[in-house]
Formats: sequence, structure tokens, C-alpha cells
Amino acid sequence: MKFDTVITGGGLAGLIAGISLQKEGRSTAIVSSGQNALHFFSGTFESMKESPARLQEILSEAGIRANYADGVRLMPMGTFRESALSLEDISLFEKPAFARKALIVNFMGYHDFFFSFIADGLQKEGIEARVRFLRLPEMEHLRQSPSEMRSVQIARIMDRIWEKVVQEIRLLLKDDDAVILPQVFGLQDISVPGRIREALPAKVVFVGTLPPSVPGLRTQMQLRRRYETLGGTFLMGDEVKSAHIHEGVVHSVVTQNLGNHYLEADSFILATGSFFSKGLISTPESVYEPIIGLDVNASDDRNTWYNPDFAGKQPYMDFGLVTDDDLHPFKDGEPIKNMYAIGSVLGNTRPELGTGAGAAIRSAFKAVDSILSKA
Amino acid sequence: MKIQEKTVSPHNFEECMKCTICTAYCPVLQANPLYPGPKQAGPDGERLRLKDPYFFTNSLKYCMNCKRCEVSCPSGVHVADLIQAARIKYDKSAPKLRDRILASTDFMGTLARPFAPIVNGVTSLGITKTVLDATLKIDHNRTFPKYSAHGFEGWLRRHSKEQAAFPEQVAYYHGCYVNYNFPQLGKDLVKVLNALGVGVQLLDGEKCCGIAMITNGMSESARKNANHNIAVLEKAVDSGLNIIATSSTCTLTIREEYPELLGADNSKVKDSLLLATRYIFEKLEKGAQLKFRSDFHIKVAYHTPCHMEKLGWGVFSEKLLRMIPGVEFTLLDSNCCGIAGTYGFKKENYLVSQAVGAPLFEQIKTVNPDVVACDCETCKWQIEMSAGYKVMHPVSILAQALDI
Amino acid sequence: MKPNEFDIIIIGGGITGAGTQRDCAMRGLRTLLIEKSDISTGATGRNHGLLHSGARYAVNDAESAEECIRENMILRRIAAHCVDETDGLFITLPEDDLAYQATFVESCRKAGIRADIIDPEEAKRLEPSVNPDLIGAVRVPDGSVDPFRLCAANMLDAKIHGGQVRLYTEVTGFIREGDTIKGVHTRNVQTGEEQDFYAPVTVNAAGIWGHKIAEMAGVNVGMFPAKGALLIFAHRINNMVINRCRKPSNADILVPGDTVCIIGTTSTRIPFEECDDVAVTPDEVNLLISEGAKLSPALMSTRILRAYAGVRPLVSADNDPTGRNISRGIVCLDHEERDGLKGFITITGGKLMTYRLMAEMATDTVCRKLGIDKKCETADTPLPGSEEKSYKEVAQTIWENPSMAQKSAASRLGTRASRLHVNDKYEDSLICECEEVSVGEINAAIERMDVTTLTDLRRRTRIGMGTCQGEFCACRAAGLLAKAHGCIERERADLNNFLTERWKGNFPIGWGDTLREAEYTQWVYKHVLGI
Repeated sequence: MKFDTVITGGGLAGLIAGISLQKEGRSTAIVSSGQNALHFFSGTFESMKESPARLQEILSEAGIRANYADGVRLMPMGTFRESALSLEDISLFEKPAFARKALIVNFMGYHDFFFSFIADGLQKEGIEARVRFLRLPEMEHLRQSPSEMRSVQIARIMDRIWEKVVQEIRLLLKDDDAVILPQVFGLQDISVPGRIREALPAKVVFVGTLPPSVPGLRTQMQLRRRYETLGGTFLMGDEVKSAHIHEGVVHSVVTQNLGNHYLEADSFILATGSFFSKGLISTPESVYEPIIGLDVNASDDRNTWYNPDFAGKQPYMDFGLVTDDDLHPFKDGEPIKNMYAIGSVLGNTRPELGTGAGAAIRSAFKAVDSILSKA
Repeated sequence: MKIQEKTVSPHNFEECMKCTICTAYCPVLQANPLYPGPKQAGPDGERLRLKDPYFFTNSLKYCMNCKRCEVSCPSGVHVADLIQAARIKYDKSAPKLRDRILASTDFMGTLARPFAPIVNGVTSLGITKTVLDATLKIDHNRTFPKYSAHGFEGWLRRHSKEQAAFPEQVAYYHGCYVNYNFPQLGKDLVKVLNALGVGVQLLDGEKCCGIAMITNGMSESARKNANHNIAVLEKAVDSGLNIIATSSTCTLTIREEYPELLGADNSKVKDSLLLATRYIFEKLEKGAQLKFRSDFHIKVAYHTPCHMEKLGWGVFSEKLLRMIPGVEFTLLDSNCCGIAGTYGFKKENYLVSQAVGAPLFEQIKTVNPDVVACDCETCKWQIEMSAGYKVMHPVSILAQALDI
Repeated sequence: MKPNEFDIIIIGGGITGAGTQRDCAMRGLRTLLIEKSDISTGATGRNHGLLHSGARYAVNDAESAEECIRENMILRRIAAHCVDETDGLFITLPEDDLAYQATFVESCRKAGIRADIIDPEEAKRLEPSVNPDLIGAVRVPDGSVDPFRLCAANMLDAKIHGGQVRLYTEVTGFIREGDTIKGVHTRNVQTGEEQDFYAPVTVNAAGIWGHKIAEMAGVNVGMFPAKGALLIFAHRINNMVINRCRKPSNADILVPGDTVCIIGTTSTRIPFEECDDVAVTPDEVNLLISEGAKLSPALMSTRILRAYAGVRPLVSADNDPTGRNISRGIVCLDHEERDGLKGFITITGGKLMTYRLMAEMATDTVCRKLGIDKKCETADTPLPGSEEKSYKEVAQTIWENPSMAQKSAASRLGTRASRLHVNDKYEDSLICECEEVSVGEINAAIERMDVTTLTDLRRRTRIGMGTCQGEFCACRAAGLLAKAHGCIERERADLNNFLTERWKGNFPIGWGDTLREAEYTQWVYKHVLGI
């Protein structure tokens, strides 16, 4: 099959690149070996401290509402983090002391929401906090499984019965000016978090839980749907195994499922992620890129990869592909002229692009612009 | 190999990162809390089963083998295979009579076909369904597939001379559905391939692919069929033929389940077994031409069968349908229809089946197509029964659209 | 007797201390066990988990071999829920001397150890993961034992018989009157609280730290710390213990235990200063994998879970200060006889699986000093939880149709699983999905097993011992612990410590899937949770 651009990796970077190119009338395919890190998305686009029009257009066309405001957001362990562009689900505050009294509501027997840590974090900021538990008959059937009282399964039920939950919360409210809820609302129906906010006479703050992330899953579905509506071909559950390169130019890639039906394209984008998604592979002696064997900036001395302090920065998380200023990766010191590396496969080799989601978005736009300029 | 250069484990289970993504995509978990879920039944459970087979639990039978966990796994763990392999290895209970009946499609087909009109009449009767529900626990809500009085093999044999005249030849693995229930699909395939200058032959004695036997505790019978089919396919390959199949499930079973679950070596034939829509698409991509009717207008909604999703070849069926002028095409959201082969016929699974497929049926009704396109026969039964829309194989739509 | 007065004080909460407390308590003594950290944090918690048949020592140390096989048989009876009766193989590889096998078998039989020569093909059938190139195999009654479970069960039995335990309590000095030890000064390391305890006899069962304890008491016991490194693989590759049939050397035992298997070990002398913070070196990692692969080639390509090292307390024979003359076997020192110091004995040397015999020797000595004439009954009385041999029977009895998690609880708790709230959906909810540990099991451990930290919990329930190494279960369990002791700040620190401890064991083998898992853990804790 022939496309204008083939993108390897269906995470945030790959999807943003794919959507951008499709919008400009290019034909693209995204090959994704499984679902992506958006499933662990906190809801905040890290290191995006602005909301560029180009990004807003893509997000809003996909039905995703995101805002930026200076300040902080409340994290699942009761800590506060500097804000960045965030999904509408996430509340951004000017300062940590965002309320006087907070009512934290959890579901009975839900262990993935850390209400006691949140209460502690709030109290440290001078916010009075109390915790109450809901026990709803609709959730009892989830309890039959010892392992399924988890965010996504709860969210599926919440899409149906959120109004009942709101009623229960009203009964619990006293003079609290904030209500803290686990982020298990709005999986399929994106309007639910907003409607809960409207229905309660207090600031409603949705705080994350252990993965999978409900807003992350939803965002991923929205971006994918947008990409496919624009005519993109999304090949889910397939893996790019190798590429045909001739004189510094990639002609096609070979995938696990399509075998000898190669994917040909004029340009290629590598958005394969870091170690978790196997964009980079580590052995006791080296770190390498598995599809083409691209140059990686990683030490061969394994002892330098780690910081023994778990809480400290980990050197291996900075490893990434060596690229030139146009994001062309290198193979044996030579740039591949029609390939671009974007997202976390870059590691921290391009600090000017930011980190995390910010790096994914900026690098995606950069690669897309370069591809479009070569038309 | 250098120390620890890579990781090797059955079905890649040790690569599991415990990320829980598979649990978000398992259609059974959404409907049945008695199912431990792909993570618990798969990689979590495997470590315990390696310690002691005692840790195997029968609740693994609720797995539909839809492979959606595998498709979504970022680590490449063959979760569904792990679960099915555990069932094959540790579940020593004898399959119930009902499961044997449901799984023995060749046997039932051969018996029923000569009496097709009577059988079809009887199985549509309410009283029959009530009796089957009470005795065998086959849910009374289920509609039974109709048997065809005339088999496909007989028809193709009658036309073998004219088929042999075509410059290019392929063999056709038709599977149970085409042969016993719906030979029209086989005829449609022949029509389309002939239009491409390709003649169609039968294989030398194919048997049921065995997927239902694998999931119903009859792995020994499945293995016998697998070895037989591989030999038959090898014979075709040796005489220079590619083998085309129209059923996405039969294709996945022969390509993947044979080596992964039955330990049957299909390396000589795997890459020669091609799904019809992929084969036709590749031919057209390489320059072959098909002439389409100018008066053919149809609104088509394409449903990707779970096994097609796993094969990753839904893109071929989709692109093929989009090529037909006059087709108004909608790609339905990827959602399991719920029948999972023989699974949905069983009384204890019926409600779960229907709950799983509900979002799909809803979407179909909203889209309101003229026809739903789908490559899998059991999806067809499920959608026709539960959504009330006609389902056609992409090849059949193609055949109808041809100007011949 | 006043509340801080006892018949005997035992210093050290490893298997030796716990076993001694059990024996003393069963003989009617009022006992107090003091431990500076948590149970089994010394060599007890950092060994191979091997229930020796004794075959390894048969050729060179017949006495140890005989001791081992006798205790092996006893532990199978009294510690059923802590022991996995796997049997073992001693394999001869093409590069080994097959003639050694005959000597080996002869020595085993002399020591009373069943040793059956089996055909290599039979060995492969019994243990499919064994090196297929083997040219000889002998089957012996090796097994595996869970040291945490064993230690906890002994301490529990001591408590049932009236014993008291003070964990996280450090001995800071001895109360000495002339040439008699009358008691100990202690300090709680978590609260800082100081307290004195009195007893006519104090037992030094502090493993390698016994050297310092003895010094504090004013006597010298020559000890030489010897570090042993081991690797845990992510899942069970073998179901029988696999050994090399040759002179014992490094990395030549692969032991299956619970959901994992462990390859070990090495032996390197280290200075005392390093005892509290031993780490596994890259050379040790390479050695363990490459030598271990000779036992089972799968080790070359199986995911490694963690690397850890323990410190053996080697005791010098005849007080030889050079460390060249190491005492084999159990060392029980009555300091009154040896050094003229009354009221103090040291019990050390030995190995994990001869703990019961060590405890018997120590208790006999204690009773002699106290003028108590009671026989040891520890060899014939099952530990709490081990009354029923098969955990399958246990699970079936408690739950009609046990789930995977319930079966798992039965395998860990034995008969005491019946104390969990049966069929309570809230209690059945899983905290650790890798090892199937429920809310109920964790709450029971917090309530009844002296748990104060996540690592304590890990030792008693196996949370965090699976492949995710605490990624999810750690913060879930932190929530439960915070609820129990009410201090979030403390729990935050606890969570950090727990994760740091896990990381310490991961980065020495930080490549492949282990590194992927570590990256994911970093992501979850830092970006998603904001720890």
C-alpha cells in the first residue's frame, strides 16, 4: 500500500502528526503495536505552558477541550504540580489554597483513589478536608470480581448513573466549597464532568487514580476517531519490524501482520516511544533502536544508566535517537533524509522541545512542517 | 546467544508490564464480573499456574478468544493464546455433549445437509428451541444458521472444467459455513476471481479448521484436523497454488492458532494462505481491472470481526469496498459483536454475548445502512439476529457490483 | 513478675531467634524477643530458600549432612505450609567428572539421605528445564522453604504460648552486675523511646550482628561476614531444585520457590561496615547468569526480577582471629563456661534449615541454666498454619469453590487462612494482583503480625514480590497502612523507602523487561500520581 507518509507509533506524537498531515490532504497510515501511553495520561500536557492555535484546532475538532491557566493542579497523592495545558477535566488553581473546606468523596472499597493522601495534602495548605464514602447498588456487581473495582470499569457505570452520584453528594455536602472526586467520569460521554460541575454548588475537582486513566483513554479514542474521519488508515496491533533503505532514503517498511505487503511512502515518521513501548531496546550491554538500528545517544556502560535514588532523575530516561536540527535520525552517522523522529523516542536529546506531551506535540509539528515544505 | 540478549517465554507472557491496558479493552469484563479478566487469567495467572496447576480456574472459559487483549497490548504479550493454552493444558474435564455438538461442524453439517429443509424448519420452531434450551442449554433466543440443501463442493466440482481453463489458478479453503450453510458466498468468490482471470479449485479434502474444537475442550480432535489440513494445504502449495479463504476466523485459526495452540507446524503453508479481500486488493493494486455496474448504489457499514482485527487485515476489506463506485461507506467503531463463535449459543453466556454486542447494534441502527459488510459468518448470524440488518461478505458485495 | 521482667530475652528476630523463642515459650518460659528491624531482615531474609537434603555436604561434611536430612524431614512435618516438597536433582554435565557421582551417592546413603541415580532422559522428563546436555542425574529429597513464612510462624507460635515481641527495637547496652548479665537497655528506632528489660538469661541470636552484641556484653565471638549474591527470576522455570554433582562452588543451585526461582550463590568476605548495605556487583550478576545457565539454559533468556545479597555469619573455630579457620555447623556458646560471663549465651553458625536444632540446643542450655527440666517438643508439634499438610485441602474446606486469590491465601497462610473474612467482597478485593493478595490478608497482617511498614507487609504477604515490584500494590497498601496507623507523613516516607528498596534490587539487572518495568514505574509514580 502506498501513502504519502507512514507513521510508526500511534501515541500522542504519532496521532498529532497524522491528523496534521491528513488535514493538509496528505494520505497517511499509522502503525501501532498496541495501545499507547495516553492510557496513563494525567490529563495535563506536560511542558505545554501555552495553547497554540494549531493545537487547539486539532483538539477541538476532535472534541477535546483543553485549557491553560497559570498556577497549579492537584495530584493523586495530594501534592500540587505546576500547571500546564490540561484537559477540561482537570481543575487548575491560582494557588494550592484553593478552598476553605473540601469534601472528598470516594466509592466504598475503591483502593486506587488515594483519598487519605489527598486529605493530608489539602490540610497542609490550610484546607479543611473530610472524606465520605458512597456505596451504590449499581456498583455491587463490579465487586464480584476481586480485581475489577478499577477506574475504567467504574467509569463505564458512571456514564450511566452520574446523576445519582450527584444526588448522593448533595446529601453529603455541608458548607464545603470544594468537592474532590476520583477521575472516573466522562469515559464515553465527554459532557459528564462539566455537567457534574454545573450540578453541584461547590468547586468540583476531579483527581486521578491508578491507571488506566479515564480521560487518557477517552482522549486517545477521540484522537484516533478524528484521524480516521480525516481518512487516515490506523493499523492497530501491528508492529513495524524493518525498513527498506537505499542510499539514505527509506522506501518502505515491513510490518508483522502485513508481511510481504510493504507499506511504501515518500516520508516516514518514527514515533515509537521509549523503552516501555520498545522504541528503544536495552540489553545488558547496549541500547539500540530495533527497526533500523538508528544511532542512539546512550552509554554502553550500564552502570551509568541508573541513579540508585529512585526519586532522583534517571539517566536512562534521557536516552534517545541522535537527530539533526530537522529531526532526521542518523544511521551510522548519516542522516536519513526522508525520516523523522518525534516524541519520547528522542529522549532528552532535544531539550528545546520540552518534555513529555509538550515534546511530543512540538516535535510532531516540526516534522509535519518539514514534510509539507518538501511538497 | 549473548547473556540476556532477549527474552523468551511461552506466548511472551513474561514481557507483561502489568499496565492493565488489556483489561480496558476486554469485552467480556465489561459484561461479566465472574471473568477474572485477561490480565488475571493470562500473565498474572500463568506465574501461579507454573507454581502449581491447582491455580488454574474454570472461570477462564468465559474468555471469548476475541484477541482484543493481544491487539491492545503494548508489550506484545499473546494474552488470549496464553489463556486458551492454559485451558487446553489444565482443563481436563470432558466437554459436554452440547459443546461437542456445537463444535463438530463438519459432522453436523454432513448430517443436516441432506435433510436441510426439514432441519431448517425444525430449528426455527419455538418448541425446538425450548427443548434445546432445557436439555442442552443452548439458549432459546438464538437463531440457528440455516443449512443449504446443496453443498458448495458439489457445485464447484460440476464447474471444474471451466475453472481449469483460466490462465491463473488458486485453491479455495471454503470452510464449513460456505459448504454447509451458504454456498452463495463461494459462488460469489468464484465470480469475482474469474473476472480477474483466476480459476478456482477445491483443495483435496479439506476439513473444518477446528476453532470451535479448540475452544470447547476438544484439542485432540482439533489437532487431528490441523495436521490433516496442513497436509492438504502443503499439497496445494507444492503444485504451485496459493490458497484463498473467505472466513477471517478460519484464516486466523490456520495461520496462528495451529502453531501457537496446537503445536502444529504450518511454516510451509502459512504465507500461501491468503484472505480473499487481501488477495483481490493486491491484484487490483498491481494493475488488474474489474468492471463495475454504473447503477450499483448501496450504503455499506463495515464491521471488523475481532479475528480480522487481530490479523490486521481489515484494511484490505475496507479499501476494497471503498474502491467500488456507488458504495457509500461507513467504518463502524471497532466493537466485538458478542457471539464469539459457539460461545454465544450457550445459555450461560447468552446475556453476556448480547451485552457485549449492544453498542455495535446501536451504532448500526444509527448509521442505518442498506447492508452491513463483514467477513465473519458468526458475526453475520449475530448481527442479523440482534440488529435486524442484512449482512453480506465484502466479496459478495463485490460480486453484486460487477458488471458481467 | 513485673511487666518488663522475663525468664529469657532473645536478641535477634531472624529464624534462629524466632525458633528459640518458640521452643522456650513451649517449655513454659516467659519470653521476650527484641529485634532492631523487622523479622528475617538478616541472613534469614536474604538466602536461597533451600530446604537442603544435605546431599551438598555429604562428601565433605558428613555431620552437617546428617543434621540437614534429619531437620529436612522434621520441617516437612511441622512446617508444611512453609515448605514446598519439590525434590532435587544433582546433575553431572559433560565437563564434570562422572565418577564423582558414585562417591556422592555413597556419602549420601551413609548420611541417611535417599539418593537415587536416574537416567538423564528420566531427569529431563521429570524436570524439562534441566540442561539437556546432562550425562548423569541423582534424585534427592531437596525442597524449598519460605523463610519469611517460617520465621513468622515460629514467632506466632511463641506469642500463642505467651511470648512477647518488640520489633524496631535496638539493644543499646547490657545491664551487667559483676560477671552476670541481668538485662538489656533498648531504644525503639521508630519512636526513640528507651526501655530496660530484665531476665536471668539473654540469648544472642543476632546473626552477623551478634559479633557487636557479644562485644557489648564484654565477650569476643570471632565472626567474619561473608556476602552471598543471588538472582530471582520472574517466574518458575523449574519445579525441582537443580544442583551440580561436583565439589560445591558458586552459582550452582537453582531453587524454585513460590512463583519464582532463585539462582545462587557466591561467597565473598566483606568488612563489618558493609553488612547493613550489601549490593550485588555487575561481575556477580554475570557469574550468576552464566554459571546458572549450565543448570538450566533458559536462564540466559528469562526475565530477571531482582538481585540481592545476604551476609552469612561465619564463626571462627577456636576463636581464630585470621578467619581462615571457620567453624562448620552450629555454634552454641555458653559464655559462663567459656568466658566466665553468667546469664549470656550465643547461638550462631548453622543454616536456615537447621534452625530448629539450633533453637533446641540454645533452649536446652537456657533450661539447664534456669534449672528447668522440660523436653523439646518443637520437632513433633506443627507450627500454626501447618496443621493440615495440603493447602488445597485447606482452600477447599474454607471456600467451596476457591478463586485464584483464595487459593493463594491458603498457600501462604495454611490453616490460618480460615481467619480471613470468608466471602466478604470488600475483603476479597485484590491489592496485589501479581501475587493475589487481598485486602483481607493485608488487614490481618497489619492487625496480628506486627506490621509497621510496607516492607514488613511485603515479607508477610508477598505484596511487591511479583513482576511489577510494587508498581500498583505499594500505594494501595500504603492507603491501608495509613488508615491503620493514622499518620500520612510517615506513610509517604514509607512509600518512598519501599520504592527505593525495590529499585535497589532492580537496577543491577536493569535491562530488557526489567528496565521497561522500571520506566513504567517511574512514569506512574512521578507523572501520574505526583509522588
